[in-house]
Amino acid sequence: MMLTGLIMYFLSACSKEPIREVTTPPVNPPTDTSKVVYNNGVFIVNEGNYNWANASVTYIDNKSGLAYQDIFKTANSRGLGDVAQSMKISGDKGYIIVNNSDRIEVVSLKDFKTIKSVTGFSSPRYIEFVDTTKAYVTNMRRNISIVDLKTLAVVKTISTPYWTESLVRFGQFMYVTCIGSFNVPTADRKSQIYIIDTKTDVIVDSLLLGKEPVSITVDRKNKIWVICTGGYDNYEAPTLQRIDPALNIVDKTFTFPVQQGVPSRLCMNPTRDTLYFIYNGVYQMAAGANELPATALIPANGHLFYGLGIHPLTGQVFVSDAIDYVQSGKVFRCSQANGQVLGSYTAGRIPGSFCFTPSSKK
Amino acid sequence: MQLKETEVRANLIPDNNGYKKVKFDSLILLPYRDADLSTVLSQISTIFIKSYSPGSLATSSFRGTPANHTQVDWNGISLSNPMLGQSDFSQIPVSAFDEIEVLYGASGLTKTSGAFGGVVNLVTNPDWNNRIHATIAQTVASFDNYTTEAGAIAGTSSFQSHTRMNYSSAVNNFPYNDDFTGEKVIQSNANVLQYSLTEEAFWKLKDKHLFTARVWYSYDNRDVPPVVEGSTTYYPQKMLNKTLRSILEYKLVERSWNLSLKTSLVNQFMNYRNDSMLINNDHNCYTSFSSARFSWMGVKNLTIRPGVDFTYDYVKSDSYSGVKTRNILGLYLEVAYKFNDHVKSQLILREDYLDGAFMPFVPSLGLEYKPLNKINLYLNANVARNYRYPTLNDLFWEYWGNPDLKPEYDNVIEGGITYNYPSLSGKFFIETSVSGYYSWMHDMIVWSPLPYNPSVWQPQNVSEVNARGIEASLNLKWKVGKLQITSSNNLTFCRSTYEKTNSPEDLSLGKQLIYIPESTYNGTLNLNCWNFILGYNLTFVNKRYTTPNNQAYMPAYSLSNIIFGKSFNLHTFAISLQVKVNNLFDVDYQSVKNWPMPGRNYSLTVRFEFKK
Repeated sequence: MMLTGLIMYFLSACSKEPIREVTTPPVNPPTDTSKVVYNNGVFIVNEGNYNWANASVTYIDNKSGLAYQDIFKTANSRGLGDVAQSMKISGDKGYIIVNNSDRIEVVSLKDFKTIKSVTGFSSPRYIEFVDTTKAYVTNMRRNISIVDLKTLAVVKTISTPYWTESLVRFGQFMYVTCIGSFNVPTADRKSQIYIIDTKTDVIVDSLLLGKEPVSITVDRKNKIWVICTGGYDNYEAPTLQRIDPALNIVDKTFTFPVQQGVPSRLCMNPTRDTLYFIYNGVYQMAAGANELPATALIPANGHLFYGLGIHPLTGQVFVSDAIDYVQSGKVFRCSQANGQVLGSYTAGRIPGSFCFTPSSKK
Repeated sequence: MQLKETEVRANLIPDNNGYKKVKFDSLILLPYRDADLSTVLSQISTIFIKSYSPGSLATSSFRGTPANHTQVDWNGISLSNPMLGQSDFSQIPVSAFDEIEVLYGASGLTKTSGAFGGVVNLVTNPDWNNRIHATIAQTVASFDNYTTEAGAIAGTSSFQSHTRMNYSSAVNNFPYNDDFTGEKVIQSNANVLQYSLTEEAFWKLKDKHLFTARVWYSYDNRDVPPVVEGSTTYYPQKMLNKTLRSILEYKLVERSWNLSLKTSLVNQFMNYRNDSMLINNDHNCYTSFSSARFSWMGVKNLTIRPGVDFTYDYVKSDSYSGVKTRNILGLYLEVAYKFNDHVKSQLILREDYLDGAFMPFVPSLGLEYKPLNKINLYLNANVARNYRYPTLNDLFWEYWGNPDLKPEYDNVIEGGITYNYPSLSGKFFIETSVSGYYSWMHDMIVWSPLPYNPSVWQPQNVSEVNARGIEASLNLKWKVGKLQITSSNNLTFCRSTYEKTNSPEDLSLGKQLIYIPESTYNGTLNLNCWNFILGYNLTFVNKRYTTPNNQAYMPAYSLSNIIFGKSFNLHTFAISLQVKVNNLFDVDYQSVKNWPMPGRNYSLTVRFEFKK
């Protein structure tokens, strides 16, 4: 009978293979990564969706212009984890911070195989290297972890009362932004920057900032720049603040118009005299400017710009479009001169940050 | 279980004025009494259940619609949480009610507006011939799962009382393959403790007045298990639900008219704790729903049924700033007209007045045609427009809610054929139904990042969805000597696609909605003989896409379940034993990405019944 036939068909669907997600490769799929050398390109860290455990890394090879998807899974035969926040390179190793898996995957840049999964964090966010032996990692849950880069283990924590986010090294000191308590309204959050002596791992000073300082960088004149969003509940207008580390004071504050957007992802060009950030579109601003730029270098035009990176040698602007946060995102490589799109690539889900290989050449 | 003689009773209701309605009676539900609603619907109905993991959330997709377009009712009052606008099917025990009515698409408009998929009504009706019927059953199942069910149904020809309770605790410590480590691990943090108590009293006076009072208390405390991703630390996530529902009903039946009044009060308390996100929030909702229906049959072949509904929601939530309320006054009119023995029609009109403003008008027209006198063949069709209001979370969630949302709306047309054939001897019964629907949903509410601030997600009326599909069912009952064979089969095809995109890079246009399968099948074959029962169930779910651009998907899977039972009847006592093997072929599958599902598992139920 027809019904019997149908049932046989349905039963044949129950194979012995585990039933797991299958990804159909994009058009022109460079799936063979065996010949790829990760020494001249950019890693795109795709966050993936919270609690879906679908974080991934895409690699764009500068020479061929090809995008290799999910290279971590290809190299290690397993997923990266839940919410990959950021990646940084020190020596011949890449450090991928997997936020909701409480882990840092340390990978070899030779083949992207995991050297060690470092555990012991509490919702890690970003890593910054002190030198070749030591790194600081910020956490959403109340401390800064210190990782020994030789043993690849958390050796110490600097206790902080609140969520620490972005960090930058300035000489002997580490400047760490702190958002405040995790689960309180912005009004009750103490937003500040901690200044930590990396020799003693002690917080030596702190400085009050605008609400939700999410992004930090240093310019060539040794000024530290911070973007403050103003709070998730629009508590106050977002600001771009400049800190003079010699005096540890905020010496300049640029205020964004209220309710028009939220700035994020502060970056510097190779010569460290121009700032870039996302504010719907991508904006470019000279470090010496007296006011915020009026027009975008790359207007949003319906795109949902999410991640931003500046190529450390060419100065080209890499910006990602998260589209709807569920389907594979896009990355655009644009000219820093006029914002013109020079190349576009498919990435993974929610491409959030970029990590350029040290010897990136054009 | 006292096996009754085959009752020749249609489950695919053929004669419903052009609207589709399917019924699952207590006999069909008997093997599922230790289970929850998600299990029974996925194994015997055409509704797709998206189940994350045992002990976790189970939501529905009915006719290609999102989860909040299936309304679950208990004797005509909504079980949906007004904050979420949907129900968790894993929290509803099958032993709390007798029958399930499934109202497809516009058919649900007789109960409510807004359920584009349809309405699942859980029903208990009195049996006036019953005197005493007491039951106690114990189920022991794999993974430290235990369920106790007890019931006492007693009364006279004018008064009946139903008292039921069930208690179940589950550890759900099943083994699964961790894709991250490649090792076999045991699921942890998936405990569920659930109990419920129901009391229903029915009082009939002079065959004219019927008074009904119902109370249902349920308690559900569960861990929310983590997604499989190799994390070394587990931060507890827990969900506690305490719900009290009560209904008072009165029905007056006269020769040419009748009146039905109902009032209910529901309190739903929920606490959600997530130590990872440092959330510990209480949500407390009170809903009062009252309705009046008057039916007038004064003119031959015509029934006019005006009515009025009133709903009041009161919500105090840690995630809202202040108390939020909503009231909806609904005016209802149903006109059924029988043109002749072949043609019937029904018009349903709804007009809601929500918080002081008239909502768009909801009309629906159904037509039924029975071309032949002696053959039970029915052609049905209906056309409708339906509206769904935003949920309270959509409107009021602190900082992110959007009070300016418009209702979603749906234009839908459907048609179908239903046929049944009862043999004269009563030994053979076959029924079949095929229906198709075409639905276009507009202004669908989607939580998405704001264009000017991607870190803020807000619900917006941004999406359009076109859902169209075919449902086919075939049921058989056949008695061959002492052997009784019953079989039910459901097959669905559904294309439900995104029809509007909001970004130049969005590749989802015309693609299937995520986690909605393009086809499903479930079939059951039961053999009964000398109080033995042997049953086999096959559930097939085709691939479900996991990304809106359909670039990734979860492959199709088939699950087989068998049941074997024997009952012993001793005058007024009956003892029955039932063994179930679920996932017979030990399929290693995931329904939702990175949520583990158990392999082969077993359950044993012992049931004592006393009936007089």
